[in-house]
Amino acid sequence: MAATDQLIEGLTRNLQPVKPLRKPGLRAALWSGFATLVIAIIAAVGGSRADLAHALPEVTFFVPLIGSWLTGVTAAVAAFQVSLPDRSRHWLWLPAVPILLWGTGFAVSCFSNPGDILASLALLPESACLLTIVLTSAALLVVLLPMLRRVKTLRPRLTAWLGCLAVAGFADTAHLLVHTEQDSLLALTVNLAPALALVVLGGLAGRKAI
Amino acid sequence: MNDGPKTETAQPTRPPEADWSVLMARGQQGDAASYRRLLQGITPYLRALAHRFGLSGPDLEDAVQDVLLTVHSIRHTYDPTRPFAPWLTAVARHRLLDRLRRRVRQIGRETELTEAHETFAAVETNHPELAGEAGRLKAAIASLPEGQRRAVEMLKLKEMSLKEASQASGQSETALKVSVHRAIKRLRVLLGGAQGGQ
Repeated sequence: MAATDQLIEGLTRNLQPVKPLRKPGLRAALWSGFATLVIAIIAAVGGSRADLAHALPEVTFFVPLIGSWLTGVTAAVAAFQVSLPDRSRHWLWLPAVPILLWGTGFAVSCFSNPGDILASLALLPESACLLTIVLTSAALLVVLLPMLRRVKTLRPRLTAWLGCLAVAGFADTAHLLVHTEQDSLLALTVNLAPALALVVLGGLAGRKAI
Repeated sequence: MNDGPKTETAQPTRPPEADWSVLMARGQQGDAASYRRLLQGITPYLRALAHRFGLSGPDLEDAVQDVLLTVHSIRHTYDPTRPFAPWLTAVARHRLLDRLRRRVRQIGRETELTEAHETFAAVETNHPELAGEAGRLKAAIASLPEGQRRAVEMLKLKEMSLKEASQASGQSETALKVSVHRAIKRLRVLLGGAQGGQ
């Protein structure tokens, strides 16, 4: 008990003021706003797909587009919420419906025009679409990682996993806006493989990264 | 103002949330007196909580200290507009469960010694840390001045980081480095001298 008293004395001796974190919803909104801005810049600089106005009303394009963007937003909210010790783990389920929209939306259109899955996988490393996803993910991670690390969360793995899911969602929104080939297995592979890789990486490396 | 539960019981008494919330908010602003009252106030509550997790003796006190260090290092995550008790309880539960998981893993890897493992009746035979090099090192560390001994214990024996040791002792990181450097120099002399200057 004397050691505990000494510890308290030590902790209070040179106490420095700390600034409480902003509300998790606000932090998620700030980052999601930044992510949306990055997507807009990529679409403006890289050139959005020529048939965007024509494609937007189509369910097979609109549903995955809005699903991926909503996955990014809801996963970001969930990541900032679960990073705090007194918030429920059930925030984890917030992105569930957007993920369903995102995944099934274009999976249906892709499987209606299957093509060759092995040929699609072989093309993946040379794909320009992949470059868009990797660059967008890198830009978003650079900002998100310090924001999450600042929390010093007690749930690093779950927080990192949700953070990576948010990045994957926004990165795919950028990809959908820029590239036209969205109705083949190549598109399905290019859209989902990096997202899955990122999410798996987040789960595995979360404890060290966050 | 109530500083928290006054008695230690197996059942954590309901914490006075409003008071602790105010004290924590002041602590976040750098008010050391309020922060000390908060930490002293929550300690009995944490002991009771740790007791409910099946901890006792030195293990319980270690767990309480672990929670206090965590509370200190993540105090910026407490939102002063929300009640303090759920935040504190969540932090404590995380740390206590981590400790229990570590303990279960440790127990799973350990094999308890039986009489068959004892070679000779002499204490030194079965407790090698009391004899030989380890015993001499222990005695040499015990003979160090208080500051140097604590620095060695925290940084070398407990393997705390400089930041953690600095927070726990209230000394600056530089002062701790100097203390450890002097302690090791002194230990070399003490142990080397006993070996005939080697």
